[in-house]
Amino acid sequence: MAMDEGILTRSESSGWEEAEAVKGKETLQSDERRATDFVMGLDIGSATSKCVVLRLDGAIIGKAVVAGGVGTEGAEQAKSLALQDAGILSDAAPMRVAATGYGRHLATDADGRFSELSCHALGALRLFPEARTVIDIGGQDSKVLRVSERGTLESFAMNDKCAAGTGRFLEEIARALNIPVGEMAELAASSGKCLDISSTCVVFAESEVVSHLARGASRADVLGGIFRSIAARVGALAQRAGICPMVVMTGGVAMNAGVREALADELGMEISVSPLSQHAGALGAALRALAQT
Amino acid sequence: MSEKEIKGTIEEVFSYSARHPARLLEEYRAAGQKAVGILPYYAPEELVYAAGMAPLGLWGMEGSVRGAGRYFPAFYCAIARMNLEMALVGVLDGLSAVLAPSICDAMRPFTQNFKSARPDIPMIFLAQPQNRTEEFGVVYMTDELARVREELEAVAGTRITDDAIRDAIAVYNESRAERRRFVRLAASHPSVITPERRSDVLKSAWFMPKPRHTAVLKTLNDAIEALAPENWTGGKVVVSGILADSASLLSVFQDNRLAIVADDVANESRSFRSDMPLPEKDEAPLRILARGFAGQGADSLLHDPDLSRRARHLKGLVEESGAQGVVFVMMQFCDPEELDYPHLKQALDAVGIPNAQIGYDQQMRDFGQARTQLEAFSEMLADRGRRDCSAASSTGR
Ligand code: SF4
Repeated sequence: MAMDEGILTRSESSGWEEAEAVKGKETLQSDERRATDFVMGLDIGSATSKCVVLRLDGAIIGKAVVAGGVGTEGAEQAKSLALQDAGILSDAAPMRVAATGYGRHLATDADGRFSELSCHALGALRLFPEARTVIDIGGQDSKVLRVSERGTLESFAMNDKCAAGTGRFLEEIARALNIPVGEMAELAASSGKCLDISSTCVVFAESEVVSHLARGASRADVLGGIFRSIAARVGALAQRAGICPMVVMTGGVAMNAGVREALADELGMEISVSPLSQHAGALGAALRALAQT
Repeated sequence: MSEKEIKGTIEEVFSYSARHPARLLEEYRAAGQKAVGILPYYAPEELVYAAGMAPLGLWGMEGSVRGAGRYFPAFYCAIARMNLEMALVGVLDGLSAVLAPSICDAMRPFTQNFKSARPDIPMIFLAQPQNRTEEFGVVYMTDELARVREELEAVAGTRITDDAIRDAIAVYNESRAERRRFVRLAASHPSVITPERRSDVLKSAWFMPKPRHTAVLKTLNDAIEALAPENWTGGKVVVSGILADSASLLSVFQDNRLAIVADDVANESRSFRSDMPLPEKDEAPLRILARGFAGQGADSLLHDPDLSRRARHLKGLVEESGAQGVVFVMMQFCDPEELDYPHLKQALDAVGIPNAQIGYDQQMRDFGQARTQLEAFSEMLADRGRRDCSAASSTGR
């Protein structure tokens, strides 16, 4: 089980329904909270912004994820929703803010900026202390991280410029198949046939999808092929970084059971995810901020 | 020379030349000197110099590939595509010839395409032997050099004498030695000799007249040597690859406080790490050049029965320079480098040398991914540094 599940609350802001557990959560009266007794981690990605609020003893007291990454209002919205989630007045100032993600340099109020690679490593280790390999598939890139027991990076590999094997790839395919991204895994579960789809290039893959559909293949079978294609791509990346159990998945695509299962098959290993997987980068940034207090 | 003067000299002489090779070409022509383009790798530049012509390195340029796309697919060697683009857009118009070695397979089709795209610029082809260390390899290479010499004589309109070649070898060996000295000095003064300045000094040697480059570099080296040693608190890395001269890419190293303390880069140290050998008794100068080529190694381009040689070389660079890790700058679609990478990585991992690979191509405009990776790598090195320190203090070391 994810270590922090016990103190998670359901967040309306994230639309994230899985962690219903409220046990262990303290009731926080905003007027009792001093302006400086919490830190904040902000992950401004290419497609979404995530925020995690930590109490100074390290407990997660608020979180949010909103659609809208770099160059949007997403980061500000994520911050205020995470504060709301923590029961903190929106004008209260955190003791420290650390930013990560593709848009980290745009976070002008951050006290520190860290690469998403080291933040995902740290965040994943907090969620799963046994994690040694972290696979993060985000909006525009995928990364495989080898992590030490202290949460520091041992090595990493990142995809090249092609978007194959990234969240953007899934979005493109969802568009081509005319289905919401969130429903892809469920639809693929009914796939009965193994279709082969190229793992080298998004553009090639997309045209392969169209020809499969033109030949009468079902959307479920096409999706199954797409998930395996992503798994093959990310699996090769993982081989480059080196795989060591326990393998944990973070980033938005971790929420897609279809990709997760295809990747587990590809690696021949179990893959763990937490309801907080999408927040792992922001959590790592918050832990970095905490370490600096 | 003060620190300010050192920076000023680099800016005025080396950075100017590194960034404006076309202006240098104009200057050569205005002075009535012919210029010859030098394609990668291991071209006998000495012969061009001995003919009284100016050699100019051709390592592509930053920009977009348009016309060259008609000759090469998008996934072909980035340097070959970009060099052809330069020829097509007229950047190479002032050259009297191009010297084209063929040690990389990607360059052979390039020479054919170049000939058809620019039949007006003579191309001198040099077929280097992969079996270069055996006597038959040396003999073959000497013969090839004799042909290249004749073709260069035709371009220059003058004889290339043995004495002129011997002089050229001395001039080039002096330049190599001074560049090696600069690389060592740059490593101990990383905040003055930033990655970008370091690159400009080394890159300009491909365009400037060698004696002038060496003379200014010698003064610069003396001045750097006289500076107080630096207490550098950032990271130290060895860079490996074909090219690592993009200002945008180097600024990412700089922003992340990563000093380049040694390199295994083709257009940097690989091109000057060893001298042409001393002559054996009455040895013809072309044979000295052939033996010089035979002595090269630890390079993805060169066949080596000892597969571990390049890995050993890299590990040695890390040890000698005190680097904490290696950054591979992987040229897009460069087969030789891609093929070497897995076993190099494996060898470094096996001895715990942190390493990272970043992709590069001269058409790149967005360095966001490189920034993320180098930032992570710099954090990784800092974390390891802290861990090593705490381990040392807890064991009383
Ligand atoms: S070594 Fe690589 S970059 Fe150089 S010419 Fe060959 S393929 Fe191109």
